[in-house]
Amino acid sequence: MPVDAPTRAPTREGRRPGAVVAGLTARRAARSGLLWGYVFSLFVASTALGYAATYKTQTARDHLAATFGTNAAIDALIGPAHQIQTVAGFTAWRSLGVLSIVGAVWGLLAGSRLLRGEEDAGRWEVLVAGQTTRRRATGQALVGLGAGAATLWTLTAIVTTVVGRSAKVHIEAGQALFFALSLVAGATMFLAVGALSSQLAATRRQAAAYGGALLGLSYALRLVADSTSGFGWLRWVSPLGWVEELEPVVAQRALALLPIAGFTAALVVLTVWLAGRRDLGASVLPDRASALARTRLLSGTTGLAVRLARPTLVGWAAAIALFALVIGFIAKAAGTVITSSSSAEHAIARLGVSGTGARLFLGVTFLMVALLVALVAAGQAVAARTEEAEGQLDNLLVRPVHRASWLAGRLVVTATALVISGGLAGLSTWLGATSQHSHVGLGDLVSAGANIVPPAVCVLGVGVLALGFWPRAVSTAAYGLVAWSFLVDLIGGLIGLNHWVLDTSVFHQMAPAPAVSVHWSTDAVMVAIGVAMAAVGGLALARRDLQGN
Amino acid sequence: MDVKAIRTEGLSKRYGSVDALSDLDLEVAEGEVVGYLGPNGAGKTTTIRLLLGLIRPTRGRAEIFGLDSQRQAVEAHRRVAYVAGEANLWPSLTGAETLHLLGRVQGRVDSAYRDELIGRFDFDPSKKVRAYSKGNRQKLILIAALMTRADLLVLDEPTSGLDPLMEQAFRHSVHEAREQGQTIFLSSHILSEVEALCDRVGILRDGVLIDMGTLAELRHLSSLTVEATFDGSVPDLSRVPGVSSVEYDGRVVRCQVRGSVEPLLQVLAASSVHELLSREPSLEELFLAHYGASTEPEGKPPNAG
Repeated sequence: MPVDAPTRAPTREGRRPGAVVAGLTARRAARSGLLWGYVFSLFVASTALGYAATYKTQTARDHLAATFGTNAAIDALIGPAHQIQTVAGFTAWRSLGVLSIVGAVWGLLAGSRLLRGEEDAGRWEVLVAGQTTRRRATGQALVGLGAGAATLWTLTAIVTTVVGRSAKVHIEAGQALFFALSLVAGATMFLAVGALSSQLAATRRQAAAYGGALLGLSYALRLVADSTSGFGWLRWVSPLGWVEELEPVVAQRALALLPIAGFTAALVVLTVWLAGRRDLGASVLPDRASALARTRLLSGTTGLAVRLARPTLVGWAAAIALFALVIGFIAKAAGTVITSSSSAEHAIARLGVSGTGARLFLGVTFLMVALLVALVAAGQAVAARTEEAEGQLDNLLVRPVHRASWLAGRLVVTATALVISGGLAGLSTWLGATSQHSHVGLGDLVSAGANIVPPAVCVLGVGVLALGFWPRAVSTAAYGLVAWSFLVDLIGGLIGLNHWVLDTSVFHQMAPAPAVSVHWSTDAVMVAIGVAMAAVGGLALARRDLQGN
Repeated sequence: MDVKAIRTEGLSKRYGSVDALSDLDLEVAEGEVVGYLGPNGAGKTTTIRLLLGLIRPTRGRAEIFGLDSQRQAVEAHRRVAYVAGEANLWPSLTGAETLHLLGRVQGRVDSAYRDELIGRFDFDPSKKVRAYSKGNRQKLILIAALMTRADLLVLDEPTSGLDPLMEQAFRHSVHEAREQGQTIFLSSHILSEVEALCDRVGILRDGVLIDMGTLAELRHLSSLTVEATFDGSVPDLSRVPGVSSVEYDGRVVRCQVRGSVEPLLQVLAASSVHELLSREPSLEELFLAHYGASTEPEGKPPNAG
């Protein structure tokens, strides 16, 4: 039988088959950049307008500058303050200090997700098998990440320019564009870090851990440079230090853009080069493909949950303990300055905190610790959903395992981790504080540590509720609640938000211990709500179809 | 009434406006090896996920050894082992750790048999799951299922990614399981595999079970292929009762016979036949007959009649 000759050549779908990877990556990076652009914009706008509304007179502003401008502790946390007696100066300082770190975390996670995450999922293989090479595809993915950073910058720049035009704020258009550039510089560098660590590591989690270690080191170097005299040069070896050197609005040092651009470009080139040198799915750094069997924990679903979550939870606990140690260490110095200035005390009182000295400082900064613990809860809710979405859960549920007992195992492990994290936070803060003779008691700090657990339990409850009813929305619900709560609590007090809005923040419900005593009854209610939501979510999970990605 | 290994009544699953499975009535007796055939998207995996209680039926019900798939899933699963077509395992665990975990969760393992299977499938359990190829991951979930010696093995395209040697090892293991009296429900689209292993075969199309029976029964409904080579003149076979699709190729004649072969033999005996070949349709031919005739009304075997 004659073979049918092909009647026509395959047609070209779309114009540029070679640009598929860039398009796919750009779409996802830009969507994420847009979301975080809103967060950045909201933060900048609310900081500026909140400051203008709170410190109406120049006298009040000078007081504030006298307080924070000379405070080594605050310098250490979010960088030194310059010209914070002006709205523009304060906004630049506060926004850059917080958002460069937030942006770096975003960049790291987005970069590793869109490169190593796609490769882990096997989707990269399909793309690279098409009309492209590993190197070209990686280059395109980097262009896509660039589009994400550009989106973040564009939205931030627009809002900063608009807010800057307000007579109360007064940031010129050119300054606003440079300011927005400074705000996204950390994000851009760490997008590249995420892309490079995606080549070095064997899994997405490993890639995020490598990048996270660099971010931690970068923060630590900057912290030492800003808080220790004679070590200011260290700022020039830290990516976060370069961002700080930009000093947007105030000094606008474009020179610091050089190391930022050079660092990013070097990482991009290295990433593309390494992508061509390694095998698909393999890592550049050696990965142990074999291991001795460690079966002690692997006798049931709870043991498995411990085994799977342990590396992540240990990493978080270490980060939380370290952060708590640092704030404990600087609490006395920071507290002394706060209590010597009535305007600073007034500012902090607006966050709902009162008290004296180190306690007051710790009451404010424990919000950051609470944020970290809540992120642990959100991450574990997402991990449970991922186990379902990737089909690993099937292996358990086709065996004699109740869905409820699988979920309960995971929740018990998470809850234990939250309590341990809270306890470690209290203990480490006490160690740091005691080394400086801060006179804040162990009991108070352990209570303050326990006090940050209930908001995290609420976040976990919302995550599990989503797992039961809207499994594909677990990540949005859990991380969304954390981000919403944090921003509302941080800026709500400054700009006098309606209490109904404030009440939606899980952190607002939490008493700012150790500045004030813990409201155990409120905490109990929060835990009860979290447990109830988790229970309802668990019941819904038992009655629905399992769903993949 | 004796308890069936698998029994479904009007089992149906609807996703939006698509009927993934419609009114499935299926019975698999204990000790039977049943093949479940159908092209991609016919509803094979949906059936299996319903049987295992991973998804919930829109209508109808399913039982495993008399236990309801939804309400008594955990009790039912004590007697079931399942192999998925795609092995999604925890990437950070090693093969040995995975086998240990899944064995402990199942609650019973024949350790000697497990070690034998590891040897038979030439599997290295010391590696991490993320370092295994697709074929090796498939071996891992096969070993994890077989080592429990469960009363019912539910296999959903279990040999995807296995090389021919390992396919042989798999068939050997299924034969062993059958000799042990285990029931096997094998979903596949590898027809030779089903033909070699199964007592009965069900054929699924667009979510509807369109045929179910032993291979002999399915063949009985279909025609026999006969090929005759003649020394001398070639007789006209087109008017012989029961004969159809006559093809002439020189002195070779090919035709299909349905029902009794007696009339054809009478005609052939009167001619000088040099060579006579006849064979049953392969499962592939049966299968293609079901799917090729897409204009046939659904639910009725196209060759019945």
